[in-house]
Parts: sequence; C-alpha cells; structure tokens
Amino acid sequence: MTRYVIVADLNRCVGCQTCTSACKHANATAPGIQWRKVLDFEVGDFPDVSRAFLPVGCMHCDDPPCLDVCPTTATRKRADGIVTIDYDVCIGCAYCAVACPYQARFRVDEPAVAFGGKAMRHEDLLEDPARIGVAQKCTMCVDLIDAGLSQGLTPGVDPGATPACVSSCIAGALHMGDLDDPNSNVSKLLRENRHFRMHEDLGTGPGIYYLYDKGIGDHTAIEPAPMVADPVGLAAVSPKLQTNWDWRAAANFILGGAGTGLFATTVIAGLFEPVHWWAAFLALAMVGTGLFCVWLEIGRPWRFLNVLRNPGTSWMTREAMAAAPFFGFGALYLLWPGWMAGVPAAVSGLAFVYCQARILRAAKGIPAWRQPGIATLVVITGLTEGVALFGVMAVLMGFEFMELAIVGSGLMVLIALRALAWQTYRGALGTAGAPVGALNALDQGRANLSARVQAVVLGVAIIGLFNPPVLALAGVLVVVTGWGFKHTLITRAAFNQGYAITRMPARGAGVSAPGIKPGWATE
Amino acid sequence: MSTSAPTTRKSVSSYCYQCVAGPDLLKVDIQDGIPYQIRPNASAADIHPAAGKVCVKAFGLIQKTNNPNRIQTPMMRTNPKKGRNQDPGFKPVSWDAALDAISKKLNKARADGLKDESGFPRVAASFGGGGTPTVYMGTFPAFLSAWGPVDMSFGSGQGVKCYHSEHLYGELWHRAFTVSPDTPLVELILSFGANVEASGGVCGVKRHADARDRGVKRIQVEPHLSVTGACSAQWVPIKPKTDPAFMFALLHVLLHEIPRDRLDIAFLKRRTSSPYLVAPNGFYLRDPDSLKPLIWDLKTARAVAYDTADTDPALEGEFAVSGLETGPDDVEWTHKDAPVRPAFAHLVAHVEPYTPEWASAICDVKSAIIRDTGMQYIDHAHVGETIEVDGQVMPFRPVAISLGKTVCNGWGGYECVWARTLMACLIGGLEVPGGTLGTTVRLNRPADNRWSSVVPGPDGFMNYPMNPTKKGEWHSSSSSRHAHQTLVPLAANSPWSQALGPTHLAWMMQKQGFDHLPKPTQPDVWFVYRTNPVISFWDTDVVADAIANFPFTVCFAYTMDETNHMADILLPECTDLEGLQLIRIGGSKYVEQFWDHQGFALRDPASAPMGEARDFTWIATELARRTDLLEKYNTAINKGAAGIRLFGKGYDFSLPVDKPHSVEEIWDHSCRAASAELTDGAQSQGLEYYREHGFRTKPFPRAQWYLYPEMVRQDLRFELPYQERLLRIGQELGARLHEQGITWWDRQLKEYEAMPHWQDLQGLWEDALEKRYDVKIGDYPFWLLSARSMQYSWGGNAGLQMIHEVAANVAGHGGVLMNPAAAKTLGLVEGERVEIASPTGTTTGAVILRNGIRPDTLLMIGQFDHWKTPFAKDLKTPSMNALTPMMLELTDSTGSGADLVRVAVNKLGARP
Repeated sequence: MTRYVIVADLNRCVGCQTCTSACKHANATAPGIQWRKVLDFEVGDFPDVSRAFLPVGCMHCDDPPCLDVCPTTATRKRADGIVTIDYDVCIGCAYCAVACPYQARFRVDEPAVAFGGKAMRHEDLLEDPARIGVAQKCTMCVDLIDAGLSQGLTPGVDPGATPACVSSCIAGALHMGDLDDPNSNVSKLLRENRHFRMHEDLGTGPGIYYLYDKGIGDHTAIEPAPMVADPVGLAAVSPKLQTNWDWRAAANFILGGAGTGLFATTVIAGLFEPVHWWAAFLALAMVGTGLFCVWLEIGRPWRFLNVLRNPGTSWMTREAMAAAPFFGFGALYLLWPGWMAGVPAAVSGLAFVYCQARILRAAKGIPAWRQPGIATLVVITGLTEGVALFGVMAVLMGFEFMELAIVGSGLMVLIALRALAWQTYRGALGTAGAPVGALNALDQGRANLSARVQAVVLGVAIIGLFNPPVLALAGVLVVVTGWGFKHTLITRAAFNQGYAITRMPARGAGVSAPGIKPGWATE
Repeated sequence: MSTSAPTTRKSVSSYCYQCVAGPDLLKVDIQDGIPYQIRPNASAADIHPAAGKVCVKAFGLIQKTNNPNRIQTPMMRTNPKKGRNQDPGFKPVSWDAALDAISKKLNKARADGLKDESGFPRVAASFGGGGTPTVYMGTFPAFLSAWGPVDMSFGSGQGVKCYHSEHLYGELWHRAFTVSPDTPLVELILSFGANVEASGGVCGVKRHADARDRGVKRIQVEPHLSVTGACSAQWVPIKPKTDPAFMFALLHVLLHEIPRDRLDIAFLKRRTSSPYLVAPNGFYLRDPDSLKPLIWDLKTARAVAYDTADTDPALEGEFAVSGLETGPDDVEWTHKDAPVRPAFAHLVAHVEPYTPEWASAICDVKSAIIRDTGMQYIDHAHVGETIEVDGQVMPFRPVAISLGKTVCNGWGGYECVWARTLMACLIGGLEVPGGTLGTTVRLNRPADNRWSSVVPGPDGFMNYPMNPTKKGEWHSSSSSRHAHQTLVPLAANSPWSQALGPTHLAWMMQKQGFDHLPKPTQPDVWFVYRTNPVISFWDTDVVADAIANFPFTVCFAYTMDETNHMADILLPECTDLEGLQLIRIGGSKYVEQFWDHQGFALRDPASAPMGEARDFTWIATELARRTDLLEKYNTAINKGAAGIRLFGKGYDFSLPVDKPHSVEEIWDHSCRAASAELTDGAQSQGLEYYREHGFRTKPFPRAQWYLYPEMVRQDLRFELPYQERLLRIGQELGARLHEQGITWWDRQLKEYEAMPHWQDLQGLWEDALEKRYDVKIGDYPFWLLSARSMQYSWGGNAGLQMIHEVAANVAGHGGVLMNPAAAKTLGLVEGERVEIASPTGTTTGAVILRNGIRPDTLLMIGQFDHWKTPFAKDLKTPSMNALTPMMLELTDSTGSGADLVRVAVNKLGARP
C-alpha cells in the first residue's frame, strides 16, 4: 500500500511563505485563498518567549471528517491517502468546511482578481469556473503526482512528482513521501525525530507530521498543548467564528427542529382529537422554509439533488432522505388525516431532526457542535419547541382546559429535559475545553438554556396550567429561548477548532518547549 | 485551470536577483505567451547552494509582470510644478519623443561640460537594492561608463539601511564587504541583530537550516524576537543600540577571564598586528631604517622588524625600545629606550573595564548570560584544530559572529565590527573554515575575486585604497555631492564608493549646504531605476522636496510611485521576466552566496513586453546613439561594463564599435564570451545554448571561500586589533578639514581611535534629538526600530497583492509591534490604530501585540507610508522613515546613520 504524507521539520521552517506562494502559483488559488500557509506561533511571556512557524493545509487525514460528512461523495480518499474533491459533483454546502478541524477548506463564490477591476491575463488564463461555488483545498498537487508516477518518478524525491510546496521549500523543511514504505524519506525522518500531529486527540489521523526535536529514542508521551484563553498576538491562529454557515443554516436548524416537533405533536394530538391541519401545514411549511434557506446558502444550488449521493456516512444526505417521506407523508396527512400517513410523517420528521442533530455532532471542525451532548440537546429542543408552538396555537384556538393541561404538562417535562440536556452539554463542553469565544457566546443570555433561566420558563408554564394566556406565554418563551440558542449555536458559538502547536521545536542546539492551544479554555 | 485547450506551453530559465542575497535560479512556465507560474530550477540543484530554489519574492514576479497598474508607454510631464500635491499631468508620448527629450538634455549637459560650477557631475543616477538593479538594467552601465562622470550619491537607503560599517571596515580588515559565518561548518553563531532568515536569501536560509539540523547553536541578541530569533536556540533581548557594550564584555571575558592559552596565540602572533609595539604617541614604533613596525622577539629578547624570520613575538609585557614613531602628515618622533608594549597588551588593558557586570547595566542583560556567551564562544572555538579543504590544511574554528542592520551602521558600528572581527582573531577564526568570512569585495579590486584583491600594503597588512588625507593629496571637493572623498577616507573611490559615502548628506545638502564645501547643486539630469527614495530614505519630506527641485528627472518606471511622481519622463522598461540579460553567478558574492561553482545565468524573456515597454539594453543603445556615444558605449560593453568582457585569452567576441547592435546580438556575444571564459576559450556557445540550459558553470574552489591561505601565501597580517592607520588618517583628515575651515565634522573625527572606547549611544541619540528639536526625550519613551522582511526587503514589491497577502501570515507586518505590558500602560489593545510620533514626524498604524519584544521598544517591519504607489498606498501600514531625522549629529565617521529614533505612541481613538 501507499500512504502519502507530508513531514514538516519545525527546526528548519522559517515561516517565509515560499510554500504558500508556490502553492498559489501551482494551483492558481484566488486572492486570499491559501491551501498551504505557514502559521506564526509565539509562546511565553517576555523575556522567556519562543516563536515557531507551522505549515498547515489539508492534512489528508486517515479518517477525514470531511469525507464522511460530504453528502455528494465529491470528497473522496484515494488509496494512496490523498483526499480529493470532484468539483463537478460538489454542491458547495460547505459541510466539509465546518467538519474540517484544520480550516483547510474554502469556497469561492465569485471569480476574484488581485487588483480589483479587470483580471490580469494570467488570472483569465487560469480561472477555473468549475471551482466556483464548490469546496476547494490542497490536492497535494495530485495531478503532478500522477503525471510523475506515469513517468516513473517518485513523489517526494523527484520534483516532477512532488507537490509545489515541498519542491519550493527553501529551508528543506517540507518533505513528502510514502509512509508505508519503510525506506522512504518520510519514514526515515519519523523514525529519527520526535514528532506530533495537530489535534491528534480528534482521531482524524492527520497526514502532516511535525518534527520538533531529535532523539526519537528518548521519546516520551507528548502532553497536549496547554490551553491559553487569551494569548497575546495569536489572533491569526486562534479559533475564529466560522462563516460558512450563516443565518440561513441556522434557520434550517431552527425551523427544522421546531417544525418536526410541531408536526409530531400535531399527529399525537390528532390521535385523540380531530386533526389540526393548520398545525401540520405550518409544521411542513417551517421545515420546508428551513430547507429553502439552506438551498439559498449552497454554492451550487441547482445541483442540490447530489445531496442524496452519500447515505452511507453523511447525515446531511440522511437528513435529505428523511425530508422526502416527511413531506410526502405529511402532504398525505393534510389530504387524508389519520395515523397511517401521520405516524410515518412524524417518524420521518423525528428522523429528520435527529439527522440535523447528527449533522452538528459530525462537524468535527466546530467544538461547540461536535460535543456529544449536542445530539440529545438538539432533538429535545426541537420537540420542546414543537410542543410549545402547538400549545400557543392551542391557546389561541381556544382548546379546552384539560387539553391545554395535557399540552402544558408535556411542555413542562420537555422544558426540564431540555434544561437537563443543556446542562449536560454545556458541562461536558466546559470540561473538555472549547474556544473561549464559543463558551462566551453560549453563556450569553440569549443562548441560555441553563437551569436558572429555564426554571423561570418552567414556572411560567406551571402557572400556565391554570391560565391559558400564561401557557401561551410559556410557549413563546420556550420557542424564543430555544431558537435563540440554536441561532447562537450556529452563528455565534460556532468557533472553529483553531490551530495548535503541541511542542515548540528545538532550534539547533536549543531545547523544545511546551506548545500552545490558543484561544481555548475549560470552565 | 482553464478548460480551453492550451495552444502552447513552455518554460524559460531566468533568475531572481531582487535582493542582495541573490542571484537564484528559476523557471517560468508560460502558456499561450502568458507567464503564469514560477518554479525552482531543479536542474540547478547540484550547483546552487540552495538547490536551485527561489524565495517568496520571486513568486511575486508573475503579478509584477502582469500588473494592470504598470506604466506601459513613455510618459512626459506636462505640469512644470513638482511636488506631492502637484498633479504631474503625465501624457503618453512616443519612444522617439521621450528619448529625444532626454538626449537633448544630455547633449546640452555634455556641451556645458560634464561637471557643473561646483565640480559635480551634471548627470546623476540612483539605483536601489545594493547594486541589484545592475542585473536588470542590461547595458545601461556601459552607457554610464561611456558618458563619463555620474553622481551616484543620492542614496535610496544605502548608508542608513545597510550594513555600512561592515562594508567599510570589513573591506579594510578582511576583504569583507559582506560578512558571513562559514555556515556549512560553524557550530556556534552569535548573531547581533542579523536577520539571516529574513534577509539572507535562499542560500542563507538553506544553510542555516542545515546548520540547525546538525545542532548548531545560534544566540540571537536583539531587542525583538525576529524570524531569525525564532529560529535560534536562544534569544537575548538586549536594549537597542547597546550591542557594543555586550561585545566589549565578550572581549573582556576572553582576555581576562580565561587562560590565555585558550586563545589562538600563534594566529595572533603571525596573522595580526598584536605583537606590534606601540610607541608613546599611539603610533607604531618603527625601525628607523626600514620604517617597519617593531615587535619584541622573545627568542632574542630584542626588538626586530615585524617580518624578521624565526621570531617569537611577545604579545604582552613592557619593553624599553628605541625607534622611530611616525604620526600624521609624516611627523616623526625618535624614541630612545621608550617604554612600549605590544598592541595586544594595549588591547588587554583597553577592555579591562568592560566587564560583563558593567555591560549588564547598559544592555539590560544579565551578566551571567554575557559571561556564558563568552565561555560558549571559546568552548566551541576548537583552537588548535585543523581541517583540510581542497587539499589545504587550514585552522578549523567553527564560531562566528553576525551583525545586523542598526547594529553595524551609524554610531556604534565601528565598535561592533571591530569587536566582532577581533573576537574572530582571538581564536584564530577569521577567514578560516568554520569561522567568520567575508564573501565579496566592492571597494577593493578586482571585485569578482577576493583572493586577487589581497594585495600587500604597508606594515605587513593588505593594501586599502583610502581616499588620501595627506596635505596636497586630500580632495577638498569630491566627485559626488555627498563629499565622500573629502570626508570619508574609508569609502575609497571605486565605482561603489559613492553609494557608500554619507548618502544622506547629499539630501541634506539639498536643503542647506555645509560650510566650506562646494555649493550644492542639482543635477541637470537624474536617472532613477528600481528605487523610491521618497519613501525609502529618512526624513521623507526633505527628500521629496529635494527631488521636486531637480530640473530634469528620468525614471525607468514600473508603476507610478512617490519618486517618479516628480519625474519629467517616465520610461517603461521590460521588467524582470521580460528583459534579456546574462549575469555572473556563483563564486563568492553577497551574504551567503558563496558557491562551489561559478559561471553565468541567463534572464530569458518569459513574455513579450507589456504595452510599449522596451528592453533596457535597447534603451541604453538608443541613448548612446542619440548622444553620439556609440563607440564609447560599445567599447565599454566589449571591456565588460555590462558584466562580461567580450574578449580574453584565445577568444574575441567584441562587438564592432561603430554601429548600434540589437539586444539579442549584444547578449549573444556576451554568451559566447561567457562560454569561452568558462572553458578557457575552448567553446563559444551563444544565446541559444543559454536559452536551452539557462546557465553554465565551472567549479569554484572552496578554498577560495577563505582568505587565510592567500594571507599565508603572501605572509600578510590582518590589521587588528590596533588601528594605527585609522588613527593617523583621522588626525590628518582633521587637519585638512580644519585648514579648510570645516569644523562641523569634528564629532566624527573622534571616532578615529586606535581602539574604540565605549560611548553612550542611547544618550547620544537622546541628546541629539533633544537639542535639535527642543523636546524632552521623556515625552518619547519608546525606541523605534525597523526590521527586514523576506517578503518585501529590496523587492520594491509593496504594490503586489500576493506579497501583501502572504506577508500577512508573518506577525509584525502591517502595523507597529509592541509589548503587551507597554500597550497596557497606554490603554492600547490589539489592532487599535495609533499615531507614532518622533520629534520630526508622524505615521499611523495598527497596534500588533507580541511578547517577543522589549517593553521599551517598538518595531515597524519594512518601508511603507506610500501615497502614490498603486495598491501600496491603500495598505495603511506605518513606516519609520518619516520619523527618522537626517542629522549630522547622528552620522558616524563613515557617513552612515542607524535606523533608530525615539517615539511616542498616541491613541487615534479609532478602533478596528
């Protein structure tokens, strides 16, 4: 077998950005897009400060999160370990971008030119329309590798088969080769030098190895990089709020959860009462609107059916597949109310919201999303909002006291469960550590599903058991807090993983020092 | 990539010499006539020290070539008024019209006499980048040679931004215009502000990476944690401009804190002036007959001439000796049994007060660190060991000291370069494997071979072409407007000397003349190429005003910029990837460009010229034709003014001198001559060969990296530690100046010491600023420094988007770097825009916080503050150039200043 990897010798790297520039040339990336770049880290307080440079890009992981989440199968992994993107299949949903914990994926929606106005002649020459609106990232110069292999060249040894960043590296810091070949350049380097991989704890098996010291024989377990909540001068490498998914994606989670919850509540209620078609219609409309918002957000909207191509691993595909019966049976339910259509629709809806929850859970690039408790929290939130919405409408429609009491009781249970799920989620997130920005955003009032806030909501709901208008108010509060939370979760707490350097390199005769995970904190 | 099928695809060879640390070789990929990609030249991997690679700057050349902001036709100014706020009203004109206008001015200047009423050349020229423009200007040097006297004294940064003291004293002491560790062999490098990972080019970066790989220790002594500091084993955050104290303390450690036999006594006795006896008035005691300096021979217990065979010279002790002492202007003192000591003994006494504890208080560095640094230096020196190179056994001394900008220019530069070179001598590590090497010569001749430049001079030392200071020989006026022959003996008078004179004096004189020097005049015609002094020099307003007063300025223009805004004619020349030229590569050149090969490389056009741009060689030929200088011009080319002499032993590819030649014809002849030179006349392949192969080389003996074998062969000594010659010429110079009534150079004259004493450099700056500007220095609490950046330095590429984009990945670009503790006291946060004010000017920029800088120091990387250059003018990046005054008080005796000023930081209030 062959497993191509990159080895970056941090003792040699000088942060010159020659690799960055060579990559931009070789791949004609748009201004501002850097498939390969070198980060600038600084650790310590004056005067005990050290500084190091860290080349990053697509890690061509053993277990790439981008691969599993891709709904279209545009992202693939070759037998030699190179992760590729089929620009003609990708819909530009950017799910891979939020799933990547290395910030290695980009989407360019418009042709960009360096100097504004008219493109330069080489920009015209190299403009690739296929790359507009879809995911793009380091290809490890796969075309060059393949062309070189076809000529009998050896990747990592012969420049004609070696990625541009490696060939151009003036410090000889970057190496590329076959990890499965024990005699390869990279295998030798890894045998002889201490090394780490970035975010090793995430289990992605990244394909860039960082050498930080000699003496592999003395190798001891590497401590994780210490979290530093407010590092000086490291904004460029600290977690940043993701910008791939905005309010449109948030709308899908908000309306999808509440809509499916409302539909399920409506169907359950319909088992005992005449079907409230308006509630079912509203539920379907909400979910549909959410999906429409997402459609507005993807880069290649007219390829949207490609979203169905990866049911094997992508929760986004599964979400889309769940949407189909939800809308199908849901429409039937509107036409022929009854459990035969309602139950399958409701189950599909619940599957839909579960898929949404798992979409977030699978987004390894966003610590606030990938926390395991997010799945339970998102599902319960959707159900709670659905019941709350049903309750509000029930009050407005003048339901009887007992009916309202049943709804109110269910709501109270769900409020409590939601608060519990939140507490579990938030606690685990704080214990594991998360980007400071994410924690701050989640702890803001507008996102707060904590016990204290929800106790108030619960109190209002209890009063609402005896006073329908108050019950409606409780429903509104449930919806407002739930939607606020999800909006925050998607657009404000969605700080990416950021970068980290596990060890500062030994420079020459110097000594290695602990690294840093900037912008992170535990509780 | 485009989906449309390419019609043609090819690659051509070229080189990158945008910075002084080049040249490096590259390939340009071209599709349908459009250059789109730069690649390393893998075929040069075996002959180039950095395996045929080029740095980030070279990758900017595609944007540089295709930049829509380029000037693409000759332009002529229509608004006679010049100035920043004047619209030049440039109108496109034909090449004929532009060249006619220039030749008309030139012909008039020639008719009026090549020199004006003050004796200055009527034609001046300014080129940027440490001589690198020469490799892009084709045969223009041949035109200048044909023209006659040209004033090159209007600097674009030299003297104030370069390693000025290293250039001058380096050439004096070891033919070292630039100095480098023998990086392939060194074990320990003490780097005082040298930033080789930013400005050492690809050869420097590759070699130092190799050195780190094998465990070299580099200690970076610098107020901020630069890229080089980052790559070093240890960072010592020294107080700005106190490096001489640190280095003097290192000398103290070596001379007072370790056994004497740990030094290389044999080297000191045989290869330095250490044994020379110093007479009572400070000059060498000489044999009255031969006038040779005397040494005390321990074998015979008597004083003998330094070159007496079979002696054992004393380094220490006091002896009663008779002899002759020769002072300035040949004044003589005869001594009888005078108590004299060897120069080395004087050195020992001289550095005694400079203890690590003394230096610690000055440098704000713990004495233990200084002492430990000294001990490491001696521990790694391997005194007594030898190594064989090219069959020659030489000393092996793998320790070296590097000096950076601001450390080795301006006041304090002499001290640092002296101490550095002396440190090498003490362990026998000067110009030997592993040690401290010069890599190129510029003031001594010939400039392409350091060994050949080793010519015996007085007193057993190498000769040095000082500007004369003796009565009757001294130049009371100079061939340049900065008076380099008058004021700076060390600047010599080679073609490079004008660039190494006090270049800021040329600008200062335009504002106000100096007493008793010729009246400063403006050049009738000023040529400008690859330089932008309006932003790259100091006190930029003064420079801009001076340029606005120049009557006729011709700028070879790439885009509009701050300097050519004042021009009368703009000429668009083929840029790096469009022009044709053959240059020398390899051998031993700037910085770390010492190769195992030497030869030639071609800059093969990768693109048709954009618009009406023309090859520089064509422009030079046209100017020569239109000024009736064709014969001289062609003769100059034949003699090698364009880089390659066209005739030699067994070959002659000279151009007929009586007619103009095409660009390709000229370079084809050059290629043939190059082939012949490399093969001793056996082969003569021309342009097509170089187009196919890109370059051609032959081996360069590694032994020639080191001056030591040639010094031994000629039995010469390095002129250290005692500077008798400088002491003498300083006194002579003082006499000459005073005879002419010039007293404003007196402070500089004090620098002519036999051994430099410590002077409070920070206080010198503070006092000068307080007195000149009537300010309280406490109101300007920070020291502001600048640093080079690999992405920008020398590149003239601030207008390139890609360079800006990738440079932003390296912390410090785009703002003012400061320590968070300092920022906190001012209530400043990351990204906040501030005004940085010195007593002379202001600039604005964003705060960049890093722990890797002293709290009393600020840093601005590169040179910005553009107001005209497209793209660059929108960067809002601060620059210290507007803040740095040009002051005589801050000019050292070599005519250089240092990038250093005191500043205050004020909130602008605007948050990012």
